[in-house]
Amino acid sequence: MACSRMMWATRAATYLRISVPFTLRVRGFSSVLKDLKYADSHEWVKVDGISATIGITDHAQDHLGDVVYVELPEVGASISQGSSFGAVESVKATSDVYSPVSGKVIEVNEELNSSPGLINASPYENGWIIKVEMSDKDETNKLMDSDQYSKFCEEEDAKH
Amino acid sequence: MRILRSLEVWKMGTVNYLDALKLQEKLVADRKTSKIADTVLSLQHPPTYTLGKRRTDHNLLIPESELKKIGAELCYTQRGGDITFHGPHQAILYPIISLRDIGIGARNYVEKLELTMIELASLYGVRACAGQKGETGVWVGERKIGAIGVRISYGITSHGLAFNIDPDLSYFKHIVPCGIADKEVTSLRKETDSMLPTEEVIQEQLISCFARLFGYSNLIWKEKGSILSDNGENR
Repeated sequence: MACSRMMWATRAATYLRISVPFTLRVRGFSSVLKDLKYADSHEWVKVDGISATIGITDHAQDHLGDVVYVELPEVGASISQGSSFGAVESVKATSDVYSPVSGKVIEVNEELNSSPGLINASPYENGWIIKVEMSDKDETNKLMDSDQYSKFCEEEDAKH
Repeated sequence: MRILRSLEVWKMGTVNYLDALKLQEKLVADRKTSKIADTVLSLQHPPTYTLGKRRTDHNLLIPESELKKIGAELCYTQRGGDITFHGPHQAILYPIISLRDIGIGARNYVEKLELTMIELASLYGVRACAGQKGETGVWVGERKIGAIGVRISYGITSHGLAFNIDPDLSYFKHIVPCGIADKEVTSLRKETDSMLPTEEVIQEQLISCFARLFGYSNLIWKEKGSILSDNGENR
């Protein structure tokens, strides 16, 4: 069955310590980056000092479909871990997006206004959504690392 | 081992759009805290034009001030999708379900909503299909028979689908339906020569198609015609 083939492939990749500089891409799986942290609502966060860049994962964009619209917060807005900071629209569905960390929005990706598809094409790079000045760096301890997130996605996808 | 999945079905008759919206907001909050199980509202609306989060009101072709004259209202919502019309003889389902519990995302959910309407249409010999890319909805050839607009919050759905049994299609002339110009809107009545049963029967069939596609094996039917007067308001 496709499911067990994929699981074998992941285990094999980990066992053989295949380390590609930024991504671990296994055919059939969405990509997960090693140096990011992940929320169970499928957002990623990249921490750099007290600054955090946030977006949605490859798994999320694949499950959403083609993004046609992104609702961005205002620069300066306060957000808290686990609460909604905006939304994306795809296939006539608006889906809220949640912040993995608390803090103040210091930058939003204006490119998404004219090119919302960047979220699908480049979820971890050009499709970043907001940058936040974190109010509590320790909050990232509550998030998943890449291995935990990969496993989380496997379990979620196995539900149906 | 298959877990028995339950769906509570609320048969609500005709409900004012904003009342239904407020009810959905409450139910989403209740579903989020697991106060209630997966629920679907089955209802119709009086003539109402609605806009989605993108507020594409350039697709309303008559001034808002003229709406009262044709007996219609306009409502702004947070759902996805463009402008649409809801009215009598159009079957609406608003599923309030947890997508996280079944492990599916927006795309898969919307595909299943499309299939729900496609299956219903096939019961009457009507060959409907899902839209092309960017044209979510259900089509019979180049004519749209079913529309979708969804909101997903904390993995819980609200809004849903609208299937044209036999609505007054002239209301659609005042909008660019779903933002797609040059495509007609149609109805089950127009597309089939079959004898149609009562709308109540068709709505129940729609619910059965939904339940089957989403794997609900246990349906709990509730007549909720007077639910909105339970809050002390006299209707």
